Amino acid sequence: MKLYAHCLIEDLDAFDTSTRGISGAAVRLLQIDELAVLVTDFNADTVAVTRENALDHASVVRSVLDRTTPLPFRFGTLVTEQQLRSYISARKPALQTRFAHVRGCVEMSVKIIREVSEDKAEARDEITSGTSFLEEKRRELLGSEQKTIEASEIRTWLHDHVDGLIRDEQVTTRPSEKLVLAAAHLVERAKIPQYKERMAAARKNRPELHFLFSGPWPPYSFANIELEFKTQFGVS
Amino acid sequence: MEFSPENPLTAEPEIETAHAEEFVEQLRCVTDTLPSRINIDAKSVEEGLAKLVLTLIEFIRRLLEKQAVRRMEGGDLSPEQIEELGLALMKLEGKLQELKTQFGLSDEDLNLDLGPIGRLI
Repeated sequence: MKLYAHCLIEDLDAFDTSTRGISGAAVRLLQIDELAVLVTDFNADTVAVTRENALDHASVVRSVLDRTTPLPFRFGTLVTEQQLRSYISARKPALQTRFAHVRGCVEMSVKIIREVSEDKAEARDEITSGTSFLEEKRRELLGSEQKTIEASEIRTWLHDHVDGLIRDEQVTTRPSEKLVLAAAHLVERAKIPQYKERMAAARKNRPELHFLFSGPWPPYSFANIELEFKTQFGVS
Repeated sequence: MEFSPENPLTAEPEIETAHAEEFVEQLRCVTDTLPSRINIDAKSVEEGLAKLVLTLIEFIRRLLEKQAVRRMEGGDLSPEQIEELGLALMKLEGKLQELKTQFGLSDEDLNLDLGPIGRLI
């Protein structure tokens, strides 16, 4: 019998026992040292990657978010109880450091779309020689570099708006894409109203950009415990 | 417990955007380029191998293009050399396109997420 591990938690002695995990299995709290893990019993060797299972996983992790900040395991983490106990015992200092980092916080997400010009197709018809081919490639590269500069500017601009309000951030920019930036901000819960105000002001400043704000989420982007787990047990 | 009555927080996440359809479309594009699990069966192995090899060739081809453009900009190539280099790279691009068609692969199939420096295509 394996266990499906949803998340690690601290400072939680009890939880809503009606919570259901993957495939409707009952969730239980497995206390290990000073920490606990929300687990369900699992009979198969792999977890199907389906929308329902992903939502079930997220639902269990979210169920404790109003009382504590969990460290979510990666979707599909299957382990034995012994492995889980060994992992937590061996990694306790690192896990406690990670808990200290996210404690009292939630993850807020910002995604930004900007319009990108698509002038490549028109120019390709005129290419008749090796020189014109390289000239066209040069134009493409210059356009690409310009997009990189613009993406970097958006990243800096967004950071300036949340500076002092966030504890940490994970930002990905994709200069050549319409979805140019995806940011995860680790925000102290008490600062969320202020954070939302700043985001609203930021949106007004840049009407040419399209925004998607979401949250509060468990700190998925800041947990980073799956790699440690993989390294130790070869489990994915 | 981290929460006090004066510091409540709803656990339900909110999603706020005026451009929902656009974001759904873009997020689908992103998930389509995420690496899928490797399925090693007799049917798919040939296609998978072709995809891997062609992706690497595409990666190298793009590096060569960039290097050629840099050399052209640097002024250390004669017009004849630029023409010759451009023709060689143009033929390489055409040949790769031919191979992609042969194996039923699209540009997006050969895309690679290169992390902070973006995607290959």
